[in-house]
Amino acid sequence: MVGVISFHMPLDRFYLWLATLAFLGGLAHAVLVLRRGTLHESRWHWLPMLLGFAAQTAFLSLRGQQHGRCPLTNLFEVLIFIGWSTVLLYFLVGATYRLSLLGVFTAPLVALLQALALASPLDHLPAAAILPRVPNPWLEIHAAVSLIAYAAFALACITGVMFLVQERLLKQHRIHALFYQLPPIHDLAIAIRRLALAGFLLLSIGLAAAIPLKLPVSDPKLAAALFVWVMYAAINFIMWRRILTARQIAWLAAAGFFVPFVSLWIVTKA
Amino acid sequence: MTTPARTICLGINYRTTPVELREKLAFREGAVPEAVQEIRALPGFDEAVVLSTCNRVELYAAHSHDDHAAAHDALRDYLAQRFTLDAGQAASLDLYRHSVEDAARHLFRVVSGLDSMVLGETEIFGQVKAAYQAALGAGTTSRELNKLFQRSFTVGKLIREKTAIQRGSTSIGSVAVDLAEKIFGGLKSCRVMLIGAGEMSRVCAQSLLSRGAQSVIVSNRSHEKAVELAAEMKGTALRFDEWENALHEVDIIISSTSAPHYVVKPEMIEKVMRQRRGHPLFLIDIAVPRDIDPAVNDIDEAILYDIDALQDIADEGRRERQRQLVICEQMIEEQLVKFGLKNLPP
Repeated sequence: MVGVISFHMPLDRFYLWLATLAFLGGLAHAVLVLRRGTLHESRWHWLPMLLGFAAQTAFLSLRGQQHGRCPLTNLFEVLIFIGWSTVLLYFLVGATYRLSLLGVFTAPLVALLQALALASPLDHLPAAAILPRVPNPWLEIHAAVSLIAYAAFALACITGVMFLVQERLLKQHRIHALFYQLPPIHDLAIAIRRLALAGFLLLSIGLAAAIPLKLPVSDPKLAAALFVWVMYAAINFIMWRRILTARQIAWLAAAGFFVPFVSLWIVTKA
Repeated sequence: MTTPARTICLGINYRTTPVELREKLAFREGAVPEAVQEIRALPGFDEAVVLSTCNRVELYAAHSHDDHAAAHDALRDYLAQRFTLDAGQAASLDLYRHSVEDAARHLFRVVSGLDSMVLGETEIFGQVKAAYQAALGAGTTSRELNKLFQRSFTVGKLIREKTAIQRGSTSIGSVAVDLAEKIFGGLKSCRVMLIGAGEMSRVCAQSLLSRGAQSVIVSNRSHEKAVELAAEMKGTALRFDEWENALHEVDIIISSTSAPHYVVKPEMIEKVMRQRRGHPLFLIDIAVPRDIDPAVNDIDEAILYDIDALQDIADEGRRERQRQLVICEQMIEEQLVKFGLKNLPP
């Protein structure tokens, strides 16, 4: 008698696993061709990212239908939403600045975010009483736009890492496959500046959307978001005035993302 | 798939023939359509393509002679007649002759840059395409050569995409350009300064200019020499005691003086970097003994390469291309089988 293994997985979780595997597959393919030194612009490079993005969108869409509101009800969904926004921005920025290799660096971060979300018990649905029966549109705009801003900071962080790697290769005269595939440091420096500025502007819009909510400044969520806003205002000022070197700015962009990343816990726990 | 059983190739290249004779046998660009029609008008020839570049002259043809040797001889006689070679000159021509499978293999290697002076260079792809287009326009290609050339373009693209034969630079000039492009992106807004007017500096500067660098400033102990070199490169000359004040205006510095000590020092570059406000500076030290203090490389945004570092990269580029050559040759053999131009090994 042949045994039958019953395998049941909710559809939304299936989409999430699919997205994670697509990003990991894309990363594996990119690393393979990178090692061979034959990374070229091709649909095979974009396809896993596109597939992962479609699966992420399907997950968020299903969750949105379940909740009847923007699916940002717990840390699990927040992480997935940031991952989705990061990939969305990657498509916009990667194409604009010809930073195709950004995908190689973006894929592991998004896969990590999703693996973290999948592996941890973060996905506890909130009690119905906690959430208002009718969603407040200002709250939804505030949350969604602020998280897209965080995704821009994540991409600025990734671009900062790419800058530091390329600059190190140039300084140490290590001219090999990765050097030829990474974009010029000048282009990366511009991309960092624009991503940090885009994130800052988006976060400003997100915070402005919170004004009608009349939240007290002492509210931990608002305080955390304001802290991130002030920090990126300072970073953008430093970039604008060219107070630091491009290398120091890349470090700021890379390390600076730690603050919004940690603030997510504060925002979702509060 | 049918085999183009009557295709032949006859030619000379930089390996077989010195430049003095190659330039004598070169077809002018406008003369190619006429030449392919002349070849096709020869008895027993149905199709013709002429590839004429500074490194090679090759005639590809499809014929109906009894044997390939007779067709090769007819092409050799055509060349001798066309370029009015006497019998002795014609006999001394070191021509290579390929037929059918060998002709296809040769064309695939040529298109892929494997037969080029600089292994893996890509310019030849466009040159072969232009030669084929000229023949197509003149109406001297048909079934055999159309198939052969179109397959060769497929193979050329495949090799470019699937291998790293074009990766890396193989000369000091091209290494300098590659590095500059990885620092500044495009070179359109880059200004170059030459401190010292040595031959290698000139080569590097010419490479940068050919890739779009905006302007060149030349400074040399002998001002006359600086003026002469600046005129050659449509740049400006600067007296040798003035170059330090102009450092902040340039993006790339190439130094090759004969000074026995460091000419460019960290404190100079630190001052310049403050003025550049975050814009990188690329320094190339061609001189031996070195002109630029190696400590300059420790300054943020200042990137220094000396002659040994550039040479090492060029050497590694050549070695990498040689390693890739084996893979490319294997791919060509696979494509010959795929296109029915070669039987599978038993």
